[in-house]
Amino acid sequence: MTPSPPRVTIVGRDTAMWLTAAALRQALAPTGVSVAAVELPSRLGAASVHVSLPPLEALHAKLGLDEAALLAATGGSFSLGWNIAGPDGAAPFFLAHGSYGAPVEGGDFFHYWNKARRHGLAVPLEHFSLTAMAARQGRMLLPDEATAIFGRTDYGYHLPALAYAAALKTRACAAGLAVRPTRDISVERDPDDGAIRAVRLDDGSRVEGDLFVDATGDGVLSGAPPRDGATDRRLIARAAAFASVAPYSEVRIAETGWTSLHASPAAAYVVHAFSAERSDDEALADASRLSGLALADASVESVPTGHREAVWDRNCIFIGASARSFDPLFDLDLHAVQLGIVHLLSLFPATADFAAERSEYNRITGSALDRLADLPAAFHNANSFPGGFWEGKRAAAPPRAVAHKRAIFRARGEIPPMEDENFAPDFWRALFVGLGETAESWPPAIDGIAPERMKQEFRRMLAFVRDKVLEQPTHDSYLRRFGRSEAA
Amino acid sequence: MVEDGAYRILIVGGGTAGWMAAAALRRRLALADYRITLVESDEIGTVGVGEATLPHIKLFNDMLGLDEAEFMRETHASFKLGIEFRGWDREGDRYIHPFGAFGEPWGGVEFQHHWLRARAHGRPVAPLEAYSCSVMAAQANAFELPDEDPDSIRSTYSYAYHFDSSRYAGHLRDYGTARGVIRIEGEVCAVEREGESGALASVTLKSGQRIEADLFVDCTGFRSLLLAGQFGAEWEDWSRWLPCDRALAVPCDHGGDGLTPYTRATARHAGWQWRIPLQHRIGNGYIFSSALLSEDEARGTLLANLDGPPQAEPRLLRFRPGRRVDAWRGNCVAIGLASGFLEPLESTSIYLIQAAVTDLINLMPTPRAGRRADPRLADEFNRLNAMQYERVRDFLILHYIANRREGEPFWDALRAVELPDTLAHKLALFRARGTVPNYQYGLFARDSWLSVLWGQGLRPRGYDRLADGFDLDAVSARLEDFRGRIAAAVSGMPGHATFLWGYCGGALELLS
Repeated sequence: MTPSPPRVTIVGRDTAMWLTAAALRQALAPTGVSVAAVELPSRLGAASVHVSLPPLEALHAKLGLDEAALLAATGGSFSLGWNIAGPDGAAPFFLAHGSYGAPVEGGDFFHYWNKARRHGLAVPLEHFSLTAMAARQGRMLLPDEATAIFGRTDYGYHLPALAYAAALKTRACAAGLAVRPTRDISVERDPDDGAIRAVRLDDGSRVEGDLFVDATGDGVLSGAPPRDGATDRRLIARAAAFASVAPYSEVRIAETGWTSLHASPAAAYVVHAFSAERSDDEALADASRLSGLALADASVESVPTGHREAVWDRNCIFIGASARSFDPLFDLDLHAVQLGIVHLLSLFPATADFAAERSEYNRITGSALDRLADLPAAFHNANSFPGGFWEGKRAAAPPRAVAHKRAIFRARGEIPPMEDENFAPDFWRALFVGLGETAESWPPAIDGIAPERMKQEFRRMLAFVRDKVLEQPTHDSYLRRFGRSEAA
Repeated sequence: MVEDGAYRILIVGGGTAGWMAAAALRRRLALADYRITLVESDEIGTVGVGEATLPHIKLFNDMLGLDEAEFMRETHASFKLGIEFRGWDREGDRYIHPFGAFGEPWGGVEFQHHWLRARAHGRPVAPLEAYSCSVMAAQANAFELPDEDPDSIRSTYSYAYHFDSSRYAGHLRDYGTARGVIRIEGEVCAVEREGESGALASVTLKSGQRIEADLFVDCTGFRSLLLAGQFGAEWEDWSRWLPCDRALAVPCDHGGDGLTPYTRATARHAGWQWRIPLQHRIGNGYIFSSALLSEDEARGTLLANLDGPPQAEPRLLRFRPGRRVDAWRGNCVAIGLASGFLEPLESTSIYLIQAAVTDLINLMPTPRAGRRADPRLADEFNRLNAMQYERVRDFLILHYIANRREGEPFWDALRAVELPDTLAHKLALFRARGTVPNYQYGLFARDSWLSVLWGQGLRPRGYDRLADGFDLDAVSARLEDFRGRIAAAVSGMPGHATFLWGYCGGALELLS
């Protein structure tokens, strides 16, 4: 058997780099594969923040990162989802990392709710979600046997980026990762096949590798970032921490763009996206007004979106924003990094000839990233917010998968099952309902259950949600408990 | 009571597909909202497809609320743990594709990588099949129901049935008509359509009776009376990969190998032969390519390879492998052979019916949303149907193309055929590193792919590197422990016939 590539060289910076390096080092060290890191200068600022999706918890567990210690060390907090606040008094809706309602006779709750709504039920969908209702009350949702029967109750995090990247770097180095810092690099390629043989650092030294991972955020190793063309601009800033830390992200919709707030014990982080016609100064004023906060450490950058056809090209794997950049609305970059890591590890070359692994990695990662990009695309496609910013989003042709999801939701309240999907059907339904879509019908099989019985079920569920949520600790007290255990 | 104004569904054709659709629709749709009528002709025979099934059929029967023992008595059913393939790689070899797991994943790494690694390092490992409880039980002609306790080695498999599909259709006919399916005997001689929309409006029977409906379910088998007959639905031909186009079928008496808890598929000179043991007989058939083998030769081979005396003259079936691109057009949905055909090599015919019926129930038009079928829902049905067919197709092709039966034109040509990209990709990945396809929707699961890829003689060059992170002695010990637990469990299982006798009661006097 031919030995597989024994040397992996990761070139990158910041969170994408350290998460990749920590995971690869941890998983590959016992197999005899060496992992080296070439560190480019950071682009993170004091106002940088990550919003994570629920699967990150499992990756942290694999890396041996203790949740309480990590949150205490980074000043991070929990996130149960997104509160989307429409313009000018429109009712907000909650996009939760948990299920909505409990199954009825093994069937999806949503259809029963949809049917009841047609018959006059006025209770919003989110009132049936443990996660959404806990979030609205500023509480955590700690699962137990009864909630597990009711449905999923997952969570993500708000992670101040500088501290989080530092924690990951510490973890990677503790696992034995060798790090070479440099201001810039040049790439040395094989004259025959174009594969990367080495990268040259600013001090003239070379770092060789058999496989290279580009976690630079803009694809330095390919010479070109994955760009379809620059679109919007984004302002990030921070403000003093709120007295009470909301366990969710809030997105406030305005005619000229949106502003999101991510609370943590360390600070309140603000992200403001706007179309390029608006000046940076106007944007700062908008962001201050929409957030109602005194903003500091503000910076503006353009947020191009785009994707790379081959996320694994020759012997180089592009991870995170080097592979694809997403619309910033849901901050999907960190999850994209995780998808890249998970698939790379499950397809790590078995032998020196890794064409089959590369081909499968490109197929499956491409598909998973497509499904991830469906989320902002669906939000944009189905929005009915006023203003030129949103009109422009609405006018853009959606990806086929998004058009199909939306059509099937409208026709039947179903979310078409797709491979490599990242979000549960409930999540998609909450999104479409929140944006004002109506599912025109439901599977007729649910008509077998009498309306009286359903009224009872609804009452039972609402009572369960209310009681369970009241049992939960507030997010603030839960975080304080974490802080204490860290100090002890 | 079916009320006036109810949505009218007309199922045309009363074979397995027709009665599965009728029973399931009647079970899941409110009587007040849907009138379900099935028209079938006593003059038209049914193909009686798929006497062998996949484990999914149990979900279908459970959804209907069928009593398992009663259903098995009625349909003369036996239990099925998998399919034995004989001679598919080379003459004389054999392997079983089981309805169950090989080993278990350890430390997030799939079983076969640990096994491949131990093997590559010269550790004494047993053949792959020794790590499958279902294969070991099948080889021992033993059977016992799986255990629900996830710690039990007997939780690692599931099972299906061999049954008489005409009797199954009859069983479901009794079920359906008892619950309100309106059965009309007669032969359709004319189909009427609406002028403007082109939607189907009614069918007229030879008796002169005219039946109107809102939705038509075409279960007319190969004739595809409504879908192909009225819409000329585009046909996607797959014969370049699946060259068999004829089958000769014959039942025979028990004898020979007896009541095996598995189906058998034996490779032959220009096709393959099936053997499906029921309680009262064995179903047999030779599927072959008419370009390379005459009907007489096929008949001779078939009759020379039976367990016992034939019970009838062999019956000839003609078919084309492929599918209708859109099985749902307008207000017409084709299910079963009317929508496509894939040979029964992996017992998928009834599964494909079941999947289509399940999707139809979910996507069923509702009277309150207007009587017209929603084209968006038809799109989704067609998308899912295509996915199901293509996945089965790739899995079937694998059996044919990965062969070393050199010198036989039928098999030589198959080795050289250009593969669908989706399959070529899967083969390349397995050859490189033993990684098997893993997807969420449709057939087949990882263990099925592993079984057939390995069984057909493909050997990976490597294995998942993450397996190297485990202590080799511990892995060897774990492999041996797993194998030992299987052997112990199987040695305690009753024989298949004994178990079946006890489970189904009296019907087994048919077995002697």
